[in-house]
Amino acid sequence: MAQSPSRSDHPPIRQFQTVVDLLETPTLARMYAYVLRNGPATVSELVSELDIPQGTAYDYIQKLEAAALAEQTREQRPAEYDTESISLTLSTDGGTQTITPALIAAVARSETDEDIDVFVDRHGLDGLAAALEYAVEYVEGTVNHRIAARELDLSPLEAEIILQALEPVVTEYSDTTT
Amino acid sequence: MTTAYIADTGVFIRCGGPDNEKFQRLRHALREAGVSLILPQRVYEELGGDPAAAEYPSGTLRHAEGFNEGWLTVADKLDYANSTVSTVMDAARRFIATETDREEDRIEKADTALVGLAVQLLDSGQADHIVLLTTDKPAGRAAETLLPKHGFSDQITHRYVSSEFLETITAGDFGDC
Repeated sequence: MAQSPSRSDHPPIRQFQTVVDLLETPTLARMYAYVLRNGPATVSELVSELDIPQGTAYDYIQKLEAAALAEQTREQRPAEYDTESISLTLSTDGGTQTITPALIAAVARSETDEDIDVFVDRHGLDGLAAALEYAVEYVEGTVNHRIAARELDLSPLEAEIILQALEPVVTEYSDTTT
Repeated sequence: MTTAYIADTGVFIRCGGPDNEKFQRLRHALREAGVSLILPQRVYEELGGDPAAAEYPSGTLRHAEGFNEGWLTVADKLDYANSTVSTVMDAARRFIATETDREEDRIEKADTALVGLAVQLLDSGQADHIVLLTTDKPAGRAAETLLPKHGFSDQITHRYVSSEFLETITAGDFGDC
């Protein structure tokens, strides 16, 4: 990251709107997650690495830039972009949930991993966020699928399916989620 | 020397789905080695217990083929009247509660069934070594830690069943040690 913009450069509601887009748009989530892990990146690199149309890549990078979740780190052509790590905590009457880069990566993975996609259809993003927390424990060895099933109100089979599906996300983000 | 291979639910989820390469590898390795995996009854119940799981690609399980082809069997019921079995299962319950930072009453018999079956097979003389194939790390560690303390030294091997493990499995993994 070239420099961290000051707090006032992070418009909270704009950022929140973009985070909603990230959660609802697996391709956008995939681009964000890619730049966060491998950035800075040029648009042409995103087009070739992620196999997305150039117009979409430009639209998405502008969307992330407007919410201060991405910034241009090289002025000369080709321009390079890097992303900011997200930590957005939502508090409602129903509880508190922090949206982390690992959760965005899990959403991104739903585009290629049908087990995650089915799980989100059945249990929503709150269900996915809860399962991701258990997946961290599962990888650490401090929970098994049976305990996770009882506490998340899933069958043991469904719990094991989603924990295994999220294992690669947890492993990749273990440096940032623990 | 007789080695018994106990398999947990996670093995069959890893092998599930339309990409059957891991399933075929496991089946081939077991048939070549002439070995049967043993399922605790609790695991057998888990594998058949949720029709909703069929909505998931990885929920398409093919363990039934193992029964037909002879490389998968279901174990006898756990004999809780056997004091060695019940003592080690109680110890496993406390061990797993500590490992998972849960209250002891939140740990159920399903959580300790793998350890219980390992002890039962060793205590009854049906096996003199156990290989535990599982993704349940707390239960695996309980087995590795507790069996030696109850008279079964060097008689348990815990294998975490990762994707990589199944992608490279061969009959050699089932050779008697």
